[in-house]
Amino acid sequence: MESTEPRTLDASTTSANAGPTTSARAADAGGVSALLSAQMTVSALVGFVVTVIWAATGVGAFWPRWVWFALALALGLHWAIAYSLRAPTERQRRLTRKAAIFAVLAVAMPMIWALAGGGYFWPIWPILGLAVALAVNVLWHRIYPPARQRELAERVDVLTRTRRGAVDVQDAELRRIERDLHDGAQARLVALSMRLGRAEERFGDRPEVADVLREARGEASAAIGELRDLARGIAPPILADRGLEAAVEALRRRAAIPVTTEVRVEGRQAPVVETAAYFVVAETLTNVAKHADGAGAHVAIRLDHGRLDVTVADSGPGGADPDGAGLSGLRNRVEALDGTLRVTSPLSGGTTVHVELPCE
Amino acid sequence: MRVVIAEDQALLREGLVALLREHDVEVVAQAEDGPGLLRIVAGHKPDLAIVDVRLPPTFTDEGIRAALDARERRPGLGVLILSQYVEPAYAAELMASGKGGVGYLLKERVGDVRAFLDALRRVADGGTALDREVVAELMRDRTAARDDTLDALTPREREVLALMAEGRTNPAIARELVVTPGAIEKHVTSIFSKLDLPGTDDDHRRVLAVLAFLRAGGA
Repeated sequence: MESTEPRTLDASTTSANAGPTTSARAADAGGVSALLSAQMTVSALVGFVVTVIWAATGVGAFWPRWVWFALALALGLHWAIAYSLRAPTERQRRLTRKAAIFAVLAVAMPMIWALAGGGYFWPIWPILGLAVALAVNVLWHRIYPPARQRELAERVDVLTRTRRGAVDVQDAELRRIERDLHDGAQARLVALSMRLGRAEERFGDRPEVADVLREARGEASAAIGELRDLARGIAPPILADRGLEAAVEALRRRAAIPVTTEVRVEGRQAPVVETAAYFVVAETLTNVAKHADGAGAHVAIRLDHGRLDVTVADSGPGGADPDGAGLSGLRNRVEALDGTLRVTSPLSGGTTVHVELPCE
Repeated sequence: MRVVIAEDQALLREGLVALLREHDVEVVAQAEDGPGLLRIVAGHKPDLAIVDVRLPPTFTDEGIRAALDARERRPGLGVLILSQYVEPAYAAELMASGKGGVGYLLKERVGDVRAFLDALRRVADGGTALDREVVAELMRDRTAARDDTLDALTPREREVLALMAEGRTNPAIARELVVTPGAIEKHVTSIFSKLDLPGTDDDHRRVLAVLAFLRAGGA
């Protein structure tokens, strides 16, 4: 019963662990096993001594067997408690301890029965009783977890739901702003540019006026261009129009590097999920073009058991900083949707960004 | 030239109508959505439809879909798409949708009245008018050179092809590139033969060359 494995989850135990187990655990695994081997040595010595005494006093009925049994029982209980201490949480420790003590007793009682000379096998009843008690105990913990844990589980549920709600609301808001820009400011600027154009035509015979009007039209066009870039940053129109496959295809065409794509996503996903996947691809490709000179990239997207898997792998030099500004921005976007982002970038070459996004 | 307009925003529709009337272009009907466009195309037999990409009821690419439908019902109909953003894939879909002129311009280009009217006439005559932004994006794609369709062309020939895609005439291309019209004609002939375009009429071959250009864009 060597217990040398590291107890990594110890930090999760709470201050509620008062009582003898705390001090026992403080001795830690190595200490416990040392104590146990000391006990074994003493037990062996005592067993030997009583056997010698029994032999010296004339070899009557073999009474030392009761001493041996008591020593073995003590050892077994010690082992059971030490074993139960290896469980990671206080709750599990308590349950394991009960189960281990039960195991020791379940072995001890038939031994008593055998040592006492057999006959009617009475230990069946206490063993059955203990087994039922243990089963009830385990079930009880399953059905009614301790209040604190239940509270935390509910809290996690609520937070997950509300965070997703907040992300959806934010996404809807951004799209509304984009629509308002399209129907409002952008449309007015286009109308303005048309009017300026018509005025320019009418002043064709007065170049000094026409020039001013042309310049004004240029300003209006620049403003329209800026609004267009802003709208594209919120969500590119082709993503909303045609979905992820068409949008990734557009990215492939626009990319400054050779890109191959493999998109297998049937139907449309939640807008916020599609947008996140799109920007993961867009920004990763931009990064590749910036940092991995001459490299190509492969984009693979597939829907797998309610998860959107997005992988962007490049043939660049590798060694990307997974905590760099660009990647941590993407990570925030992905994690807000309960997704994960993993970056593999060995110095031997190639960087792979792998993202998993849950979809309802 | 008989023109219909499909644009849901009254401000732009009215501005467009006023501008066209000032230049003696007859706007025979107007629509506010995709189904409306199909109705007026069927009812008025126009030469050209000016269509906004984003139309009700979906407010996505309804205009492109309606324009494709309209061309199917009235082959040879010229379609000029106006949009607030460029999407080469949409231009390619239109070009591939059969006979008839195709234009795809950013809305603010309307302000350059002369160029806009030129584009309108070209498209009504079966030619092309692609926004320089669309062309620039496709050219950017070319620089990554992963599509071999246009690899046979020299850089100069690609430049010429890009300007052809915008809808410029040979003399206009010659002016832009500061060479003689004769030199441009030679480039154009070379482009046609490298793209393996049969010797039918020149206008049609120009459209086919632009189509090859769009296709090579992966769209």
